[in-house]
Amino acid sequence: MYRSIILKEWLKLRWFFAACVLAHLALCLRIFFVIGRQMREEHAEMVWYQAIHIHTVMYQDIRFLPLFTGLLLAAAQFMPEILGRRMRIALHLPTGRDRMLLLCLLAGIALYLIATGLGVVGVFVTLRRFFPLEVAFSALPTMAPWLLAGLLAYLGMTIVLLEGETRRRVFLALVFGVLVTMLFHGNGYGWLTPALPYLVWLVVPAMLSVFESARRFQQRGA
Amino acid sequence: MNAIEVHNLCHRYNGRTIYQDLNFSVRQGSICGLLGKNGQGKTTLVNILMGFLGPADGRCLVLGENSHDLSPAVRSRIGLLHEGHLAYEFMTIAQTEQFFSGCYPDWNADIFYGLVEKMKLPRSHKVGNMSCGQRSQVVLGVIMAQNPDLLILDDYSMGLDAGYRRLFLDVLHEFASQDGKTIFVTSHIVQDLEQLVDTMIFLDKGEILQTGLEEFMGSFHKYVFHDDNRFSLEPDEVIKGFEQRGRQVALYSFAGEEQIQGHLAALGIRPHNFHPAAMTLEDAFIGLMGKY
Repeated sequence: MYRSIILKEWLKLRWFFAACVLAHLALCLRIFFVIGRQMREEHAEMVWYQAIHIHTVMYQDIRFLPLFTGLLLAAAQFMPEILGRRMRIALHLPTGRDRMLLLCLLAGIALYLIATGLGVVGVFVTLRRFFPLEVAFSALPTMAPWLLAGLLAYLGMTIVLLEGETRRRVFLALVFGVLVTMLFHGNGYGWLTPALPYLVWLVVPAMLSVFESARRFQQRGA
Repeated sequence: MNAIEVHNLCHRYNGRTIYQDLNFSVRQGSICGLLGKNGQGKTTLVNILMGFLGPADGRCLVLGENSHDLSPAVRSRIGLLHEGHLAYEFMTIAQTEQFFSGCYPDWNADIFYGLVEKMKLPRSHKVGNMSCGQRSQVVLGVIMAQNPDLLILDDYSMGLDAGYRRLFLDVLHEFASQDGKTIFVTSHIVQDLEQLVDTMIFLDKGEILQTGLEEFMGSFHKYVFHDDNRFSLEPDEVIKGFEQRGRQVALYSFAGEEQIQGHLAALGIRPHNFHPAAMTLEDAFIGLMGKY
C-alpha cells in the first residue's frame, strides 16, 4: 500500500519536481556567475565589505523560489485529486484516510526539501568559493525562514485546495498569507534566527489542519 | 444476511429534504438496481453508503459496518465504480495496475489485463488520453481484479455506447454467477438493468418502492387504447402513469384489466380497442415515476 501511494504521488509530481530542481540549479548558477563577475569587475575587498560589513545578501535571487516551489508542488499534487473529485478513489482505498494523507504529505514534503535543499547547497558552495566559511555558514539561518515559508505555503495550498467551503478557504488563505509574509520580513543575515526555533512549530498546526480539511472534504461528499 | 442495510435514513441538502425515513436492505448474493429520475438522490445515496457524506439522521450498514466509518478491511471487499468512471488520468495502463495491485491483497492482474487488453491499447497508453468507453474498461478491470464481495456501481452506463454497455453487462453477469457476490447498481439506461438485476429499488421524492424484478413486471401493467378526444388524466390510486401520443393512450397500473376499465368508465372515458400491452422495464419506469 505504502509503495503504491508513493508511486502515485511520484507520478503526479515528477515533472514539476524536475522543473523545481532545474530552477534551483539555474538560480544557483546565476548567483555563482554574478558574484564571480562582481569579484572580477569590482575590487574583491569591496565585495567582501558588502557581504561581511553591510550584510548584503548576495543570494537574494533565490529568496522566493522555495515559496514558489511549495505552491507548485502542492498544486501539482492535489489539483488532480480535486478536479473531478478524484480523491474519492484514494479515500476508498483499504487504508486509513489520515495514514494515506500523511504518506501523500511526506512524499510532497520530501521532494520539496530535496529541491530547496539543492538550492541551499548550491548557495553554500558558491559562497564558500568566494568568501570565508563563516559567510557561507551564515546563509543557512538566513535561508531557513524562506524554506519554512515554502513549507507553510505547501501546507497552506494543500489545505485551501482540500477545503470545500469558500469562506473558510479565503480565511485560511489569508492566515497562511500572513504567516508566509512574516517569514520574508527583514534584511541581512539571520534576521529571524532568534525566532526560528519557535516559528518552526507552525508546521505542526499547519499539518494537523490538512487532516482536518481532508476530513471535511470527505464528509462534504468528497 | 444483508450486504447493505439502510435504517431511517434522512438527508437534507441546502435545506431541501432528499430522504426522510428511508429504509431498505440489499440481500447478500443479489443484484439490486436503484432507479430514479435525475436529481432524486441516487448518487447521494451511494456517497452516503461509501462514507463520502454523513447522513443527517439514520444508519447505513455496509457489509455489517457503519457506512461513514468503514474499516480498511471492509473497504477492500467493496469494488466501487464512481460516477463518470473516475480514474487517475496521469497514469498509464501499466501504472494503474501497479498502483492498485499494491493496494488489494487479492488483486488478480490476469483479470485486469484480460479486460483492458480487449481494447488493444499498449500498456504505456495514458488513461487521460482514452475515450470515456476505454476509461470505463480500465475502471472495470480495476474493480474486478480486486475480487470484491460487493460491487457498487454509480451510473456505470454514463457516456458508454451499446458495445461497452454490453461488455459491462457480460462482466457483471460473470461476477454475479459466483457465490455470495452482491451488486448494487444505478444506471440511467433502464433497459440494461432489466437484463441484470433481480431486485429493484425505485427512488422518487425521497420515498422508495423495493420489489423483485419478476414480481414487479408481473404485477405492474401497461394498457393501451385509442381515443379521439383529448383528455387529461392525473395519477391516482389506480392509474400510476399515463402517456398520450396522438390518438394512442397508454396507462400504467397495478390494477387488473377489469378494474382499470371500470375506473376509466367512472372517469367518463370510453376507450376504444382497450388491451394490455407488452411492457419493457423502461416503459414501467416511466409509467411509475413519470417523465419529469
